[in-house]
Amino acid sequence: MTSFEELAKVCTKIENTSSSLEITSVVAGFFKEVDDEELDIVTRFIMGRVFPVWSEKELGIGPNLLYSAIARASCLPIKRIKEFVRDTGDVGLAAEKALSGKVQSNFFTEEELTISEVYLRFRRIAQLTGKGSQDTKVKVLQSLFGSAKPVEIVYLARLSIEELRIGVGEGIVRDAIAEAFNVSSGLVERGIMITNDFGLVASTGKKEGEKGLNELGIILGRPLKMMLSQVTPGIKEAIGEMRSVAVEWKFDGARVQIHKNGKEVTIYSRRLENVTSSLPDIVKSVKANVFAENAILDGEAIALGKDKKPMAFQEILRRFRRKYEVSATAIEIPLFLNLFDILYLNNESLIDHPLSWRRKKLEEVCDKGIIAVQVVTDDISIVENIYKEALMAGHEGVMLKNPGSSYIPGKRGKNWLKLKPIMETLDLIVIGGEWGEGRRANLIGSYLLACRDPDTDTFLPIGRVATGITDEQLTELTKTFKELVISEEGIHVELEPRIVFEVAFEEIQKSPNYESGYALRFPRLVHVRTDKSPGDADTIERVESLYIGQKGRRNSNGNL
Amino acid sequence: MFKAVIGAEKLKDSIESISTLVDEARFKLAQNGISVRAVDPANVAMVSFDLAKDAFDSFEATEGEIGIDLAKLNGIMEMADRNDNIELELDETAHKLIVRMRGLSYTMSLLDPSSIRKEPKVPTLELPARIVIRGEDLKRAVKAAEKVSDYMSMGVTDNIFFMEAEGDTDNVRLEMTKDQLIDLSPAESKSLFSLDYLTDIGKIAGKASEVTIDLGKDYPMKMKLKIAEGHGEVSYMLAPRVESE
Repeated sequence: MTSFEELAKVCTKIENTSSSLEITSVVAGFFKEVDDEELDIVTRFIMGRVFPVWSEKELGIGPNLLYSAIARASCLPIKRIKEFVRDTGDVGLAAEKALSGKVQSNFFTEEELTISEVYLRFRRIAQLTGKGSQDTKVKVLQSLFGSAKPVEIVYLARLSIEELRIGVGEGIVRDAIAEAFNVSSGLVERGIMITNDFGLVASTGKKEGEKGLNELGIILGRPLKMMLSQVTPGIKEAIGEMRSVAVEWKFDGARVQIHKNGKEVTIYSRRLENVTSSLPDIVKSVKANVFAENAILDGEAIALGKDKKPMAFQEILRRFRRKYEVSATAIEIPLFLNLFDILYLNNESLIDHPLSWRRKKLEEVCDKGIIAVQVVTDDISIVENIYKEALMAGHEGVMLKNPGSSYIPGKRGKNWLKLKPIMETLDLIVIGGEWGEGRRANLIGSYLLACRDPDTDTFLPIGRVATGITDEQLTELTKTFKELVISEEGIHVELEPRIVFEVAFEEIQKSPNYESGYALRFPRLVHVRTDKSPGDADTIERVESLYIGQKGRRNSNGNL
Repeated sequence: MFKAVIGAEKLKDSIESISTLVDEARFKLAQNGISVRAVDPANVAMVSFDLAKDAFDSFEATEGEIGIDLAKLNGIMEMADRNDNIELELDETAHKLIVRMRGLSYTMSLLDPSSIRKEPKVPTLELPARIVIRGEDLKRAVKAAEKVSDYMSMGVTDNIFFMEAEGDTDNVRLEMTKDQLIDLSPAESKSLFSLDYLTDIGKIAGKASEVTIDLGKDYPMKMKLKIAEGHGEVSYMLAPRVESE
C-alpha cells in the first residue's frame, strides 16, 4: 500500500519540473514503485482522472459540492471558500488555506490515507444516488479532507473535480509506462487506443512485457477510440498522395460506435459515453439490419428534417443528452444510421485489415440501407461531383480515405482526409471575460464576444472564445483588459467594449443562450484587430446573412 | 434466524436513533438482543446502539448480521400506529425482512452487509466531566444556539455546566448549576461542536428523560441515553472542532 502522501509529493515535484522528459521520468519512477493494485489507480490519478474512460462511473463532484465539503471540514462558510478560490485561483490552494485554521476533527484523523482508500471513497461517492445522496457525497468528501495532511489536501481537492493541473496528460503517461517497464511506447499507445484503459496497459506492460501488450485486443462492450481525420487542402492533393481514394459523404451528424453482442446493442458517442438509452430507434435499426452475431461498427447518426435535409448537429446532441421522454423525442427527431466501418466481427478484430477488405465485410453483414455510400476512384471530377452532391444534400463535405489503410483507433492521420468549405470570419467586440484557474489564475482566459446591433446601438452577446490564444497573447491581453474592467463578480468580469477580435468558427448556430440568438461552433481567435474599433465590428445582420448563407450553400448548388 | 415482536414506538425510536447519522447500517443479531455500531459518512460522529431482548414482546435470534436501508424502514414505520405491535421476520434464503403490522405485510429487500461500511473501532475516551441533564433542557439549548451560529461549545467551569454559541452579532449562553441538573461531576472542560450534528442528535436526546454527557478539553464528547423504556441504550460520540496541526 502506498500512501496518498507519496502521490502528492510526486505531484508537487512534477509541478516544479518544466521539462516533459524529466516529468516522464518522475512518473515512470512512481509507476515502478507502487503495488500492482495501485498502479491501475495511479495511472489515472496522475492525469486527474478517477475512473477509466470506458467506465460508465461518474464521480459527479462539481465545484459547489467540493466547496461545501471544504466548508464543513474547515468550519468556514462557503462564501469564504469561494473567496479563497478567487484569491488563489486554484481549488487545491484554497482548500489548503481553508484547512490551515480551525477544523472539524474526526475519529480517524490519525490514520494514514492510502491511494486505494482515496479511490474507494471516490467510488463510494460515485455510487451514491437518490434522495439525500448529495449530502452524503459532501460528507464522504469531507471525511477525506478530515484525514488529509496539508500536501495531500491540495491534490485531493483538485482530483475530486478531476482537474489535477500538473501538466500530465495521456502522452506523458504513455511514455512513462514505456519507460517504467521497458516496453515500446508504440505498443503502449496501441494498447491504450484499443482498450482505453491505462491501468490495464500499465499492468500488462509490467507483468507480461511487450508480448502481453501485443496480445491486448478489442473487448466487445468496451469502446475504443475512434479514428479521426485531417483537413485536406484539396482533392488533387489527396488523390496525389493516395492515388485512388474511397470517397464518402461527410455527414452532418453525430459519430457513433456500435457494439452488437447477440441481442444486446450498445451505442457510444465520440466521447465514448454510453448513449444507448437516448437512441432507441438506432438500436432498433441495428437489431433489424445487422446480421452478424457480434460486431463493432463505426458510423454517423444523422437527423433528417421533413425536407430530407440534415437537421443541425446540436439537435442530435440534444438527443444524446436527453435522458427522459426519449420516445417522445424519437418521434420528433427521427435518426438514420450511416455506417462506414467495421472493427470487429464474430469475435475477431478487423482493424489491422485494409479499409477495402473491411468495407466488404461491412457490406456482407449489414443491410445496405444503413451503410454509407462509398465510391473508390482516382478521378478528380468524380470526387468533385460527390462533394457537390454532399453539400447540396446539406452535409458537411466528403471524406477521402486510403483504401489500403488499417483502422488506427484515436489516430488523426493522413489516411482519412476531410474536405469541407471554410467559413468566413467575424469581427466581434469583447464585452466580458473570465479569470482562469491554476497556471492561468492571474489571466483572463476566456472572452465573451458580441456583435453590433446598429439599430439600438447595443452589443449582442454571441459566444465565448478561449482557443487560438497563445500564452504571451494572454498576458498581453489581460494587461489591456485590466484597464477596461467595469465590474467583477466571482470569476466573471464585465469589460468596456473597446477591443475587436477576428474570430473563425465552424458554423453559426441558433442559440437561446446568447442575446443575439446565435452561437458560434468551435470559435477560435485569429487576430486581435487593433486596427478596428467597436464601430467597425460586424453587425447582427451580417451574422444572420452568414447563417442563412451556410444553409443556402448546402441547399442550393454546392458551389463555394 | 430472526423472529421478533416489538411495540411500534420502541422500534421507531430505535431506528431513528441510528438513521440520524447513517442511511444504512449493519445490524448484529444475537441471542440476547440487537446491536449496531456505525460512523457517519464524514467520520465526525459515531453511534453505538444496543437493544436488549427484553425490549421485545417475543424475541428469537441466532448470531447473524443483516444490512438495512434505514430510510426505507423509517418509511415502512410511518404506516404503523404507535400502539401497533410489529412483527419482524428474517427470510434468510431470500435476503429479505418481512415486517408485519395489523394485517399489512411488507417484504423488504436487505442490503448486502459487506456493501455497508465496516463497524468502526469505538475509541475509548478519557473524559473528566460528566453532566446528567434532562433531554428537554439539552434540546432547548441546541435550539437557541442554532439561531445564532453553526457551532456550539459545551463545557464545565467553576462547577457550572454551560452551552454557548457565538454568532457574528448575537450570542447565546445557557448555564446550569448542579441542582438545576440531574447530576454533575465537574472538571474544567470545553469543546466546540458542529450544530449540524447536535441538532439531529438533540432531536433524539430531547425525548429522553435523562442524558449523560461526558466532556473534555478540545476533545470528543460522548452522549448516552436510554430508549425503548430503558431496555435500549444509545451512545453518540462527536468529534470537536479543533486547531489544525
